[in-house]
Amino acid sequence: MDEVKIGVFICNCGDTISKSVDLLDIRARLEKLADVALVSIGHDLCSPQAQQAIRKDIIDNGINRVVIAACSPQLYGDALANLVEKAGLNRHLLSVANIREQCSWVHPDKDKATKKAMVQIRMAVDKVRLQDVVEQAEVEVYKDVLVIGGGIVGMEVAIELSNLNLRTTLIEKEANLGGRLKQFAALYPLQVTPEEMLTSRLKQVTGSENIDALTSAGLKDLSGEVGNFTAKIRKGNEEISRNFGAIILATGYETLFLDKVYGFELGDNIITQSQLEGMLKSPGEIKKIPQSVGFVFDICDEHSRISTPSTLRNALVIKERFGSEVYVLCRNLQVDGAGLEKLYQDVRNKGVIFFKFERFPKVLRENGKINIQVEDLSMAREQVMLSCDLLVVEEKVVPHQDFATLESMLNIGLGPRDFYQEDNVHLYPTSSTKSGIFFAGNCHQDLDLGRALTDASNAASEAYQLISSGKMRVEVERVVVDPDKCALCLTCLRFCPHDAIRIDYEKKTAHILDLACQGCGICAAVCPAKAIKFKDWSDDQILAELEVV
Amino acid sequence: MIIAERKPLEDIKQMIAQYKKILLVGCGTCVTVCWAGGEKEVGILASQLRLAFRRDGGELETLEATVERQCEKEMVEELKDKIQQVEAVLSLGCGAGVQTIADRFEETPVYPALNTKFVGMPEREGLWIENCGACGDCFLDRTGGICPIVRCAKGLLNGPCGGTNKGKCEVDPEKDCAWTLIYRRLEKQGRLDLMRKYYPPRNFQAVVRPGKIEAQRV
Amino acid sequence: MTTGVEFLPCIVAFCCVHSAYQAADAAGRMRIPYPENIIMVHIPCAGRVDTLHILRAFENGADGVVILACHEGACHHILGNIRAKERVERANALLREIGVDGRRVEMRTCAPNDGSRFARVCHELEEKIKELGPSPLRKHA
Ligand SMILES: Cc1cc2nc3c(=O)[nH]c(=O)nc-3n(C[C@H](O)[C@H](O)[C@H](O)COP(=O)(O)OP(=O)(O)OC[C@H]3O[C@@H](n4cnc5c(N)ncnc54)[C@H](O)[C@@H]3O)c2cc1C
Ligand code: SF4
Ligand code: SF4
Ligand code: SF4
Ligand code: SF4
Repeated sequence: MDEVKIGVFICNCGDTISKSVDLLDIRARLEKLADVALVSIGHDLCSPQAQQAIRKDIIDNGINRVVIAACSPQLYGDALANLVEKAGLNRHLLSVANIREQCSWVHPDKDKATKKAMVQIRMAVDKVRLQDVVEQAEVEVYKDVLVIGGGIVGMEVAIELSNLNLRTTLIEKEANLGGRLKQFAALYPLQVTPEEMLTSRLKQVTGSENIDALTSAGLKDLSGEVGNFTAKIRKGNEEISRNFGAIILATGYETLFLDKVYGFELGDNIITQSQLEGMLKSPGEIKKIPQSVGFVFDICDEHSRISTPSTLRNALVIKERFGSEVYVLCRNLQVDGAGLEKLYQDVRNKGVIFFKFERFPKVLRENGKINIQVEDLSMAREQVMLSCDLLVVEEKVVPHQDFATLESMLNIGLGPRDFYQEDNVHLYPTSSTKSGIFFAGNCHQDLDLGRALTDASNAASEAYQLISSGKMRVEVERVVVDPDKCALCLTCLRFCPHDAIRIDYEKKTAHILDLACQGCGICAAVCPAKAIKFKDWSDDQILAELEVV
Repeated sequence: MIIAERKPLEDIKQMIAQYKKILLVGCGTCVTVCWAGGEKEVGILASQLRLAFRRDGGELETLEATVERQCEKEMVEELKDKIQQVEAVLSLGCGAGVQTIADRFEETPVYPALNTKFVGMPEREGLWIENCGACGDCFLDRTGGICPIVRCAKGLLNGPCGGTNKGKCEVDPEKDCAWTLIYRRLEKQGRLDLMRKYYPPRNFQAVVRPGKIEAQRV
Repeated sequence: MTTGVEFLPCIVAFCCVHSAYQAADAAGRMRIPYPENIIMVHIPCAGRVDTLHILRAFENGADGVVILACHEGACHHILGNIRAKERVERANALLREIGVDGRRVEMRTCAPNDGSRFARVCHELEEKIKELGPSPLRKHA
């Protein structure tokens, strides 16, 4: 290797840094460090003039590694790497010491701040000395997207992508597109009917050249990685193999009646929301119009975004169609969705009566009637006795049962409630644990329709951003396995959270997929053979930094 | 694969208490895979020992090396230079590895840092299960590929015993009863007739120690 | 070490770039001071920290080590914080084997925007290590 020549550029940040850090003292001490060829103090390194000067300094002095001591790299890290690149060096040959946010701004005592800044800069020098070059490359990727699940959300995703000029293959396991929405009688507070909504989407899906909708179809096998997935799709007896750059899951949800939670079973006059939807959809099934109907919800899942709208919606349909007495019993109403507050008012104005409880009401079956005893909180904690012909209960919304198979086929992690990653703030809203696979709609969260459609747009635009240019920039071998050291122990494979490692049995080594790797360094930490090097955070570098202690 | 685990620090410390400079040698094969003696563990143990010596008021100097397979004479040869610089060697190989180094470098004391435990397989990351006792007369043809010698707590050849309880073992209710597993496996394969056969006790005393195998020329 | 000067603990804090590193920046923007003797090592994910790194910090003279990661369930790399916790537990155990208080290694969590929590955690760590006193593993003078 050529002689290491480190240039240290210190910013006084319009005097905010130099006010509490003695930069001259630091410069004097830095100049004595091994391999440090140049130490320069400048004003506002973020300005074009200053950057011009740094570039010139790097070139003129033959600097081959750069330390910049300034504000947080969170702010200008990328710009500084660009600067280093423009000076003819690899963009990784830079280390930034954060002496503003993490030093001068928080340590008012000048001596102490100076001491700490020196430590920070020394760590950066020690780190950059051992930094390896990491090249970037452009990789061709497929611009097609696979959408799994042809409910309203899957259709919406396909339409949005098609409008953005990306081709999609939409696979639906049922014979028809439309998903759960097909079953609904009305979509209050929306003024459109489910049929209207689906018909307009269907028209767009079938009318678009960019969308290939395959019904009665399912995913059989998936291989590859972001940009270059190969999917085997089964349609009837046929098997189709296609390549995709990204995959969006829109497999929706299922509902389950939890008799354990309720303590009673379903029957003729106790039915679920889904059963009620079915009845309202095909009125022929209703033999006798119920004079009084009760709804209970907010039992199974206090986070559900669906219980409130679906109950309100169906309560209104019943009131409008049959004029029955309608009681709604719940712990809490969640009217934070678009139009829900108004829907609630409408429902009340139509004469639906609401009861709020803390303890679950007693439900008794008597002579074909359902008697409900509830302690009403909105009144003076009175015990109220209600009698209904029909009781409609909420179900728990759970991920589609195909989840488990899809999850293992795609190798993506589930979130805490067994939905796909749902409430991880860093991944929210639509990314999965695996690069190139996204979620949309109710397969990862129970969303009301409005939110589900927004989610569809988000997923579509994320996939678009990722692959629409047909190329992806990738860091080549930023994390890399030394095949001579690899013992094929499979530890890294089992620990990588992003499914970015494969075993190359021909070359007898683990192999990291650059496109899929998200740079956490977990593999490098767990490898028992120390065969994995993370070039930006190698063991040598971390240990060298620790030498300042 | 050979599964081993590290000895308690106290034991290791006692072995090497009198030395000032030692070489820690890992093995890049079985014990790397079972997380006990690869390059990573060599680094951790070396650091821990240096700290432990310092804690006791002393100082220990360490060299580190990891060879591909410690049980190969040719492969431990590369340790020569390093061994000349130290008073003793601490091996993180299995017993075979320790002995190979000890045989090759007879002047230098070689100590085992690991306890060699069994032949086994990973059940998941970080968990290894013994599944072969290297009995020398493999029985698996009659048991659907499930070893009763080690996976049955009593090593029964004609199980299950009366203590099998809903598929669990009476000795350790956490563990599956090997003979129930065998039954289910044979049932799946339509070979339950094997369960009805009686197998006479085996004479383990006939096993000659040390074992020796000479293969035909390849 | 008994020279009468006040014991100034040296603490190594591995700061995950998705949480603590950003929280420290937030503390900076809000000008919330915290002890300057905390050496912050910038890492891409708490899961990058190896048990060896922790031990080495002590060899170099640290009095305490902390891994500062994302809150549970909020790790950018899903399980990085859980992995870090496992390493902390291992390091605790290795230190205890040596006869050193395992509390010298700790894992704390912090949201990326929570500057005040970051500063508070730093103060707490300093207090704790002050209580434990200088590391018995420091190089002999
Ligand atoms: C009881 C209930 C009432 C609701 N009421 C309201 C309401 O009143 N107002 C409101 O705004 N929202 C309501 N919602 C929410 C609304 O229904 C959803 O937001 C929306 O329907 C979600 O659409 P989706 O496409 O994500 O899922 P789905 O409609 O479930 O579509 C998923 C599709 O994927 C297919 N699929 C599944 N697995 C596979 C596979 N492996 N391969 C291929 N295809 C597959 C399924 O067959 C299905 O067609 C309610 C939800 C429930 C559960
Ligand atoms: S953890 Fe290391 S030794 Fe094991 S397979 Fe991965 S690279 Fe190879
Ligand atoms: S750094 Fe390693 S563990 Fe992390 S994503 Fe990349 S390959 Fe996977
Ligand atoms: S010495 Fe040989 S048998 Fe022992 S662990 Fe190493 S490779 Fe395996
Ligand atoms: S019978 Fe069991 S112990 Fe004997 S060789 Fe076969 S697997 Fe190993």
